[in-house]
Amino acid sequence: MSNRIDVALTINGRLHNLNVRPDLTLAETLRDELNLTGTKIGCDDSNCGVCTVLLDGMAVKSCAMLVGQADGREITTIEGLETGDGLHPLQQAFIDYFAVQCGFCTPGMILTAKAILDENPKATEEDIREGLHGNLCRCTGYVQIVEAIESVRDGKYGEARA
Amino acid sequence: MRFEKYFVPETRQECFALLEQYGDKAKVLAGGTDVIQLLKSGALKPEAVIDIRKVEGISETKITDQGLALGAMVRLRELSLNEALATDYPVIMEAAGHVSSMQIRSMATIGGNVCNASPSADAVQGLILMNATAVIESAGGNREIPIAQFFTGPGKTVLKKGELLVGFTIPKPSARTGAFYEKFSIRGDTDITIVGAGASVTLAEDGTVSGAVVSLASVAPTPLRMDAVEKMLVGKKLTPELIDQAAQAASKSVAPITDQRASAGYRVEMVYVWTKSALTKALERAIA
Amino acid sequence: MNTLIGKGEKRIDAYDKVTGKGMFASDFFSRAAKMPQMRLLTSPHAHAKILRLDVSRAENMPGVIKIITSKEPGVDWDQFPKPAYLAQDRVIWAGQVIALVLAETREIAEEAIGAIEIEYEVYPHVLNYDEAMEPNPKAVVDPEYETRAAGFSDRPGDRASDRKSPNVVGAFKLNTGDVDRALKESDIVIEHNYFTGKKTANPLETATAVCEYSPDGTLTMTSNGAGVHGVIKQTLCRVLGLKQSKLRCIQPYQGGSFGSRLNPFIEVLTALMASRAKCGVACSYTRKESFTTGPSNWPCYTTVKLGAKKDGTIIANDFTLGEEIGACINNSFFSGRLSSSGVAPCYRFPNTRMDTFAVATNTVPAAEYRGLGCPETEFGIECVINELADGLGISPVEIRLKNILDPGDLNIYGEPIRSTGLKKCLQSVADAIGVDEKPVQDMGVWKKGRGCAVGGKQNTPLGRAEAKVWFNCDGTIELFTSVDEMGMGATTTMAQICANEMGVRMEDVKLTNSDTAITPYDNYSASSRATYTAGNAVIIACDDLKRKLKEEVAREFGMHPSKVEIQGTTAILKGAALESVSIPSLFKGWTPFSQNNWGLKIGSPVEGVGIFCPAPVQMWDKDGRSPRIWNWFQYSAAAIEVAVNEETGQVQVLRVASSSDTGNPINPDIIRGQTIGGVHMAIGFALNEEHLYDENGMISNANLSDYRLPTILDMPLKENVHDFINPDSLPDGPYGAKGMAESVTVPVAPAIQEAIYQAVGVRINGYPMTAERVLAAIKEKKQKEAAR
Repeated sequence: MSNRIDVALTINGRLHNLNVRPDLTLAETLRDELNLTGTKIGCDDSNCGVCTVLLDGMAVKSCAMLVGQADGREITTIEGLETGDGLHPLQQAFIDYFAVQCGFCTPGMILTAKAILDENPKATEEDIREGLHGNLCRCTGYVQIVEAIESVRDGKYGEARA
Repeated sequence: MRFEKYFVPETRQECFALLEQYGDKAKVLAGGTDVIQLLKSGALKPEAVIDIRKVEGISETKITDQGLALGAMVRLRELSLNEALATDYPVIMEAAGHVSSMQIRSMATIGGNVCNASPSADAVQGLILMNATAVIESAGGNREIPIAQFFTGPGKTVLKKGELLVGFTIPKPSARTGAFYEKFSIRGDTDITIVGAGASVTLAEDGTVSGAVVSLASVAPTPLRMDAVEKMLVGKKLTPELIDQAAQAASKSVAPITDQRASAGYRVEMVYVWTKSALTKALERAIA
Repeated sequence: MNTLIGKGEKRIDAYDKVTGKGMFASDFFSRAAKMPQMRLLTSPHAHAKILRLDVSRAENMPGVIKIITSKEPGVDWDQFPKPAYLAQDRVIWAGQVIALVLAETREIAEEAIGAIEIEYEVYPHVLNYDEAMEPNPKAVVDPEYETRAAGFSDRPGDRASDRKSPNVVGAFKLNTGDVDRALKESDIVIEHNYFTGKKTANPLETATAVCEYSPDGTLTMTSNGAGVHGVIKQTLCRVLGLKQSKLRCIQPYQGGSFGSRLNPFIEVLTALMASRAKCGVACSYTRKESFTTGPSNWPCYTTVKLGAKKDGTIIANDFTLGEEIGACINNSFFSGRLSSSGVAPCYRFPNTRMDTFAVATNTVPAAEYRGLGCPETEFGIECVINELADGLGISPVEIRLKNILDPGDLNIYGEPIRSTGLKKCLQSVADAIGVDEKPVQDMGVWKKGRGCAVGGKQNTPLGRAEAKVWFNCDGTIELFTSVDEMGMGATTTMAQICANEMGVRMEDVKLTNSDTAITPYDNYSASSRATYTAGNAVIIACDDLKRKLKEEVAREFGMHPSKVEIQGTTAILKGAALESVSIPSLFKGWTPFSQNNWGLKIGSPVEGVGIFCPAPVQMWDKDGRSPRIWNWFQYSAAAIEVAVNEETGQVQVLRVASSSDTGNPINPDIIRGQTIGGVHMAIGFALNEEHLYDENGMISNANLSDYRLPTILDMPLKENVHDFINPDSLPDGPYGAKGMAESVTVPVAPAIQEAIYQAVGVRINGYPMTAERVLAAIKEKKQKEAAR
């Protein structure tokens, strides 16, 4: 189709040169075109936060941006956090602190938490709450999520890898 | 397809040409956080989307002795965290910081918040309180208008075919000026504002009010500047009694609607509560 | 042998979920992007006659595969679950499905919906309980009301002639003791009406189904509905006339449920389309459809009248309840009996009269949602008890301790209470928050107050759960269950029970769950029963496996099985020369030349099976009484401190303590998550959540911006959140455990109601207690005081 566009997305460190429909959101592109279904979609109006990914390190809602807006930029999805050395400290902490129930908000929650701590390694509970209040969770009541994030902040899992 | 064509112009001339060419069939995309909702729901079906993020010279924040120049593409999160604005323009930062969540503010822009023309827009209130001027450009030339006059209805602005909002100029506030914006919502900033109330006061050396801006969000089809209330304050000492009278006058003069976020009656009551609070806090800042 | 029970073993699904690798139904949906896509035409009106419906233009659009309307031949719509009931000649709620459109892409399907020609004659509608209950209501909701006016034989006391309105579509009555006399003998009587809001559960993953079609007509349904065997498969077979052998239902991880997935609406519609179009079909609801097409909870409207003696002993309970059940067609489910069961768990209530009924409205049909109407029912009772305590000048803790049932006591139905730790639950939360002390007022216009309440929830004895467990030749264990892993941790709990029974480590147990072609029968996980029913089935299956292993090992050594003991992967041989043997070492391999096909064989696991069903209900008598109408009861107590803004009416929860009687806990860390999560959800019930309507009767806040689900900011700071477990062992529970996830939500709203009263002196007799409602009450109180 003539009205497709070329975009270059670096996703989890790997460059993807895509020729896609311009009207797709980044979330749709990740899920439907690239099978990166760890990024979820949960609402119609960019409120729930389950689609959160990192764009050049910033937390953004991937359902509230078009794929073209991500052209030339670095995207981290939940699939990119585990490395050959194992789980990211936040992933391990979410397991250890029972911060996961149904798991549908978990990828967005972990990536938002990463953005919060990357920007402010000394984030207080208030900072964490402010940062997470665009991420809905229906299961946990958030306490174990905050405990997990604070444990990483406090160095329980060693120096957090970037 | 939600739209057919997607353009990313890099110069203003390119952008103006596209705006001329597509007219009503084009939608300008800044951060996109509002526009994309409309595209997804089908409320908006443009032929072309013009992503202006690469247009030169509209993404900068410049502070001079005369004031502040904000490009339309300045992201709200960047604005809300820009410590260089803390001395003279804290209300610009705070109002921008009240827009939704961190994730949304990372993409959303000051120009987009203005052009979306929602009466509930929070970042707009910071501009109104600081007497910002909108800078509009087109192939045919430039024009500037006070921000409070930019809006003509919900989602509607003074922008004409071929015009692009490129930024804002904000005069450096006079000495003894304080401004504060109160966002009232139920669940914090991710909620759309039920009532927003902002106040800016400048005090003369004798402590009387020499200039005032009182502005409300979510109580009318557009952001609402309360000229009559402002006049009540000028030349007088801003006592708690006068603040109360001004808040009552503001509350009595609005005719908001009932919607799924609040009833009209509740909004009227909240205008009183939050105008009082905004004036009180603005005064504290003016004195400090 | 309890090495793993009561321990916070890590969740077996957590790795999948923190890495994004775990597959949800919506992920299968994304990967089925090239499968034909189904979209829905739904009604914009709450009540209207369909004058004309013409799909011919839409059907002829390129890419459109099939359109189904109520005129589709050979479909028995009366069998359909209510949210999947296609509108016949009229629509009865805004959001009701009118047509199903299947096309090559979602976009084409949506365009085709726009091309369907439809005209309505708009009728008046009833949107709430009061409108529906008028003797001559503006609308009679059920199109089949006239044909069923005779009432139901299975509901003693439900007579058409007693119905106050044609929108009353079911009733239940209970009478025990002599309420009128007890009211006369009471020193204090308090009576109020209470309302509750209509809510949507809003699990974050919307309803999604992917139905594959095989050339022989076999359907494979992958969806996030509950109960692959008992609900989805049996409903589809019954409703669509499918052969049991031609349908396979698979449930991947569910993105939440909270009971709302018990109605198999999307599966029914998707499978109907697949079987008619003879191709694969994928469908996923939008968030708006989750609200408007349903289902919702059922709000309850109660009149609670309690009479007590001076010392706080409650002797009279005169209770009336209406369940608002939405657009109900051919109701055979609702009668008020489920909601009003919330009257039973906690208190003695020696003289009780209950008059309950179900009321239809032109709103989205109601279905299960965490607590089955009990939070809504118990709200009024707990509020009146708090008022009685105030009126009598005794503590809200003391009045409850005086009236709470003890083990062995009979409840209002005449059932004996087998297990309750409620008194301890109450004391623990009251102490944590200091309910009997006044808070220091140091927050300006924000006034603080404290309150407490208790709650209970019956377990409906509907469960049948089966489990299958394998001992593999290498000593690993495989467990097969069909519990619904909607997030509550049931699969971890099952693996934990299995590992404990088999004496192996958690990581040695691999669980396969919820695939009707592979895993054994289970009705569904609801009524907080998965731990109890499926947990018991796992224990029985492990017993069966160990018995078989003993036989196999005994045979190898020429011993009697009773002389063999199984300890993990080791067999202890009592009285034999060889004291013990590694069981995997007994499995023999296979070669082309020596075919060792007898005995334990490599690759062929030893299998144990278990089936557990609780004893059945005994039919209730004409007074609604029965020695076994429910099974066991779960309990919870909450104490809460709030701050109320006198100027805006906003309520902020500052501190909360919640305690549950879970029976003996299997995994306390998982319970902690259920407790805190339940409190958070219930804060949403109490303060914000309700459907609002526009002039067409369409939900006007059908999105996550305007329907105010609680966020992290609605939860107190974590140092101010206290959770406790106060177990009272359940005699027939696995290791004494019972379920717990529903009762947690019950006491939160009434505790908040009391705390608001203590803060600003107003009682909000219903929920959500929105800022607007609280402010209106504060203003009314001030006006009354000024007039005095």
